[in-house]
Amino acid sequence: MSIDIILLSFVIALLRGGRLREVPKFAKLRFLIISLLLQGCSALFPAMGGLFVSLSYLFTLLFFYHNREHEDIRIFMIGWSLNAVTIWANFGKMPLDLEQARKLPYSLEPVINGTDFKHSVLTADSNLPFLADIIYMPFPIARVISIGDLFIMLGAFLLVQRIMNKPISLKGLREGRSYAARN
Amino acid sequence: MLPGIKLPQALQRFIVRVCYPVLAVLLIVTAIPTWESRTSWNTLVFYTILSLVVSFLAIKTPNVVITLNNAVTFSAILLYGTWAGVWCATIESLIIAFLFRSGVSKILANAGQLLSTVWIVGWTHEWLLRTALPPVLADLLLGLLYFAVNTLLCSLGIAYFSKLRTWTVAKSLVKSGTCTYVLVMVLGGIGARLMESHGIASLLPVLVMFLAMRIIFQQYFHNLNRLQQKMDEVRRLNDTILAAMAASIDARDPYTHGHSYRVAYWGRELARALGLAKKEADEVYYGGILHDIGKIGIEDNILKKEGKLSREEYHKIKQHPVIGYHIVKQAGVFPELLPAIRHHHERYDGKGYPDGLSGQEIPLIARILALSDAFDAMVSDRPYRKGVPVEHALQIIRDNAGTQFDQALAEIFVRLVRSYSKEQLEEVFRQSGQTNVKLSEGAS
Repeated sequence: MSIDIILLSFVIALLRGGRLREVPKFAKLRFLIISLLLQGCSALFPAMGGLFVSLSYLFTLLFFYHNREHEDIRIFMIGWSLNAVTIWANFGKMPLDLEQARKLPYSLEPVINGTDFKHSVLTADSNLPFLADIIYMPFPIARVISIGDLFIMLGAFLLVQRIMNKPISLKGLREGRSYAARN
Repeated sequence: MLPGIKLPQALQRFIVRVCYPVLAVLLIVTAIPTWESRTSWNTLVFYTILSLVVSFLAIKTPNVVITLNNAVTFSAILLYGTWAGVWCATIESLIIAFLFRSGVSKILANAGQLLSTVWIVGWTHEWLLRTALPPVLADLLLGLLYFAVNTLLCSLGIAYFSKLRTWTVAKSLVKSGTCTYVLVMVLGGIGARLMESHGIASLLPVLVMFLAMRIIFQQYFHNLNRLQQKMDEVRRLNDTILAAMAASIDARDPYTHGHSYRVAYWGRELARALGLAKKEADEVYYGGILHDIGKIGIEDNILKKEGKLSREEYHKIKQHPVIGYHIVKQAGVFPELLPAIRHHHERYDGKGYPDGLSGQEIPLIARILALSDAFDAMVSDRPYRKGVPVEHALQIIRDNAGTQFDQALAEIFVRLVRSYSKEQLEEVFRQSGQTNVKLSEGAS
């Protein structure tokens, strides 16, 4: 996933004076493990890839659902749901806009010839194209992301801030308080 | 909708539970073909980020939280059309659904009202484009329309879920947030036109302006809160003073222990039964607590005398409303309670004291307290006699309605006390320290 965003979030948290105290405990971690295994399966059995990826997204959503008491996880859920709907609507693969992807420095061969286990080429026949990978993001690592990924990145940033004991509460922001209460 | 007209529950339920969700789905489905077009994607991404940012920047007043989301949605309608507005509303609904709300029906109702607002405003926008109305004026009109439609549709939902009248909810929404809301809509319109002519960078001054407003509001309400806390302190102090005064009045005469509290209690209940506002009912209560304060100035041997009072002694006792009136007047506190203290012994037929007022000349608060005072005096034990049963006291009140008491008030009072069960009556007397009140003939 977006390692650069996570690293950047850690740097920001450090600059804000955050320190790692304890790793948060997640409920139903097995759903996440199942999800990762399913992703592995989709790489191993490309013929059934679409099904495995679709199921994997479902299990990740279930994992998030069981940890929904945290705001950051809820933001993850929004992004993950948007991506999941797009992947389900496109039979297990996330369409990728080649027009944007051509700006990327690496080969798009696997996507074009259909061997990429998670992505397909965005065509006029793709469903929900506006939720597919259509945004070229040059920084920090160049990539093409979806609207759902915007939420996921925000969620990742907030999660890291919480782990580093400097939580930012979005609900608090809305109510005029800058930071969440310390746990 | 006209004031006072209550929407039938079934219709309200149908609109909120069926129409709103169906409209939400329909409007999203009709917008999807436009969203799918490659030319729309930049707009969608831009408005997603903008909606996300402003969802967490709100102006908070003591009554409402107002975000810039409606301004953003409104600007999307103005610049690109309904489909862009529907997108913003969808993103906002998603954020609210996941982050703030629980319950599928509420989420769907909220999305439905928001999307319907967007659709109505978008439709009107297209219609206005075909007229010769100058764009700036049209924007203003649309902003006000957005506010009006959103408030109405929103209050319908809130009224349904909180079982209130739609009109009441709409009125309170308008009262508590109108100006901020209109401000936000105008800001949305200005932002849209600025962006149209100067590009994305022009959003910067709009956002700075909003942030500055937010800070000003925060400071303002922070100060207001501090003031409110001070007011609460003063009110608490007032209550303490009143309680101390009531205790000192009651301490003079152990037989009438709790009398002031019971008079205050029945007075307030009667005021509520008359449909008086909370403030007035509270005044009756405090008037009840203070009504006998003048007894402080009556000698102990008269106040505690067992047996009949001489003419002279009775004359002195009759001075207590005037004495109380002067005590409170000189203290300069609770001026609104002065009529209660001076006139609670006036009679409706004009034969009371100290001023011999009659009928409607007697202030309402005093007419109310005259009833509750007489009632409690009758049912409580006194040095020289036992209290009479409640039912008997009510009969006496009925017999004297129109002469001693205000007829209309007396009837309501009798009905009020009769609506109490035996246990409830005992509870009222127990809480104020009087336990030996007879509830009916024979019972003790």
